Amino acid sequence: MNEKAPANPSRLPSLPRMRLSEKGARRMTIGVLLAPVIVVILLLFMGGLITGFLRSLGYFPLIGLNDFNFDAYLSIFTDNGFIRSFVLTFHIAFTSTVIASILAIASAMLLRPAFRGKRFVQFIFSLNLTIPHLVGAVGVLYLFSGSGLVSRLATGAGLIDAPAEFPALVFDPWAIGIIIQYVWKEIPFIGVIVLAILLSVGEDYESVARSLGANRWQAFRHVTLPLVMPGVVSASVIVFAFTFGAFEIPWLLGATFPKALPVLAFESYTDVDLAARPQAMAMAMVIAFMSSLMILAYMKLSRRYIRS
Amino acid sequence: MTQVKLSGLTKRFDEKSEPAVDRLDIEIESGKLTALLGPSGCGKTTTMKMIAGLLRPTDGDILFDGSSIVGIAPEDRGAVMVFQNYLLFPYMSVADNIGFGLKMRGVSRSEIRTRVRDMLDLVQMPGFEERRPKQLSGGQQQRIALARALIVQPNVLLLDEPLSNLDAHLRDEMRELISGIQTELGITTVFVTHDQEEAVVLADKIALLFEGRLQQFDVPDAFYETPGTVDIAKFFGGTNFIPGRCEDGRITTAIGRFRAPHTAVDRGEAVLSIRPEAVELGGGGGNSVRGRIRSHVYVGRYARFRVMIGEVEIEVITDPGQVKKLSDGDEVSVRFDPDKIWILGPAADGKDGRADSDSARQPAG
Repeated sequence: MNEKAPANPSRLPSLPRMRLSEKGARRMTIGVLLAPVIVVILLLFMGGLITGFLRSLGYFPLIGLNDFNFDAYLSIFTDNGFIRSFVLTFHIAFTSTVIASILAIASAMLLRPAFRGKRFVQFIFSLNLTIPHLVGAVGVLYLFSGSGLVSRLATGAGLIDAPAEFPALVFDPWAIGIIIQYVWKEIPFIGVIVLAILLSVGEDYESVARSLGANRWQAFRHVTLPLVMPGVVSASVIVFAFTFGAFEIPWLLGATFPKALPVLAFESYTDVDLAARPQAMAMAMVIAFMSSLMILAYMKLSRRYIRS
Repeated sequence: MTQVKLSGLTKRFDEKSEPAVDRLDIEIESGKLTALLGPSGCGKTTTMKMIAGLLRPTDGDILFDGSSIVGIAPEDRGAVMVFQNYLLFPYMSVADNIGFGLKMRGVSRSEIRTRVRDMLDLVQMPGFEERRPKQLSGGQQQRIALARALIVQPNVLLLDEPLSNLDAHLRDEMRELISGIQTELGITTVFVTHDQEEAVVLADKIALLFEGRLQQFDVPDAFYETPGTVDIAKFFGGTNFIPGRCEDGRITTAIGRFRAPHTAVDRGEAVLSIRPEAVELGGGGGNSVRGRIRSHVYVGRYARFRVMIGEVEIEVITDPGQVKKLSDGDEVSVRFDPDKIWILGPAADGKDGRADSDSARQPAG
């Protein structure tokens, strides 16, 4: 075939072959250009994931564990403490994401029309995007702990008799302090994205809806919301994944029991008993798996919502 | 059907700038097709949005059948606006788009389905229920937008530049569709356009706006035969304007004296206007002068000549056969048919066209 081709350069069959090889070359180039990124992802992320997965199955030659088994998974799933940690972590991630999304949409709607001092308000709104989570956690401690500012102000104002009567908002079993911190931090993150969509879409779609007989609420519910929903979903998926797997905030603001999953996993990992390592890894795997699963389910649900 | 009256309607977007719409008085007849015509930025879309309730007037009133609707929410006015860029909801099927207004009114699913089907038949797109707006061409999107508006049986239908985003052959089709549906349903319809030809072909009556002000509100042919001002005549393709003085049905200009019984001014300073297609070349007779052909273009369906009469250049459009008889530089007789001459008031000097449009509107209206 190859020998024949030059003899008949004008024959059609030689053309597709050339296109194919061009396509291959282009793929190669893209591959080469992407290689550094792929290497980093594979080594750091996949490598870590695979190592963690192997260790969670009890494979840890360094300390003489050479067998594969599901002991670690069995032991954590039968542990009541783990189950409660899991439920707590889901509660933290889900509640924070939902509250932050709703408030973010509301603030974006408020920030959309032109008004005096809009630039300043928008600056204040997005300011805490730059503040680290840790600073927010310290802020929540200062404000809402039993000896915090709000508690003392409430005492001073005579709303409660002593700071000790202030409801537990930090180190509490409902993780209210953690959720406050996440909501505070994530509202501008989601809000800025929603606002950008609102401004680029404009108000004409809502005008159409109003003109066709929708009242304000119907226009919001059936037109504005579906238009911004893809942005809300992408942003809140990131928020959900982050809040499900983040360690420092529940570590700083969480109750001693139950602990959030990442805290529990970290404590098992740093346990003096090396035999607890497989369990720590099994927990980490569960966190990774659940985050991925939740995100998938959430995206499916939101898509269905958008369609209706 | 509904009669719409705009009374002193004014819209100012901020205190300092000129009003976008300035004291409009228009009575839109019930069941008729009315065009708001004007160059871009003349306030025609703003006017339409005020009728739809999407913009609040700064001053003045809008009346539907004699009662003011300025305080009424857009969804309760029964005036539905179709936007220039269609704005079909991108995340909905064609059926859901068309049925939107009925869904908002709480109409049952099965009734919505039947009425959506009827609407698709009306706009000649049966079977398109499950398509997505993205899969439709511009003309099809326009039809769906129209169906979405018509399904709620509006009292007043508002169309913003309904033909401007379509290419030429689709435009003819759409024009026929709109005028067919409008005649069939008899909905009071207002449409906005910048294209005078579109307005003339579609509308029963045209309101011409310049810079937010009504210039003339009239039947289409009046804008050709009896325009109120030189600017109006120019907007409708008039090209020949010769200043002079008129008296007793005659006008004296730099190129001669002409009989002109049709006039907007009785006497004094005036402008002779005659449409290029109304000038006759080479005929002779009364109301004729001598001119010299300066240049000509053969366009196929017609020929366009530029003729110098003394120092004045006029444009003449003739049948294409004239090209064979006349060449550049020829001396020729130029006849202004007295019945086709229209005498206007003198052209305004300042930007403020209000004074002269007021005086000129009387004979036209």
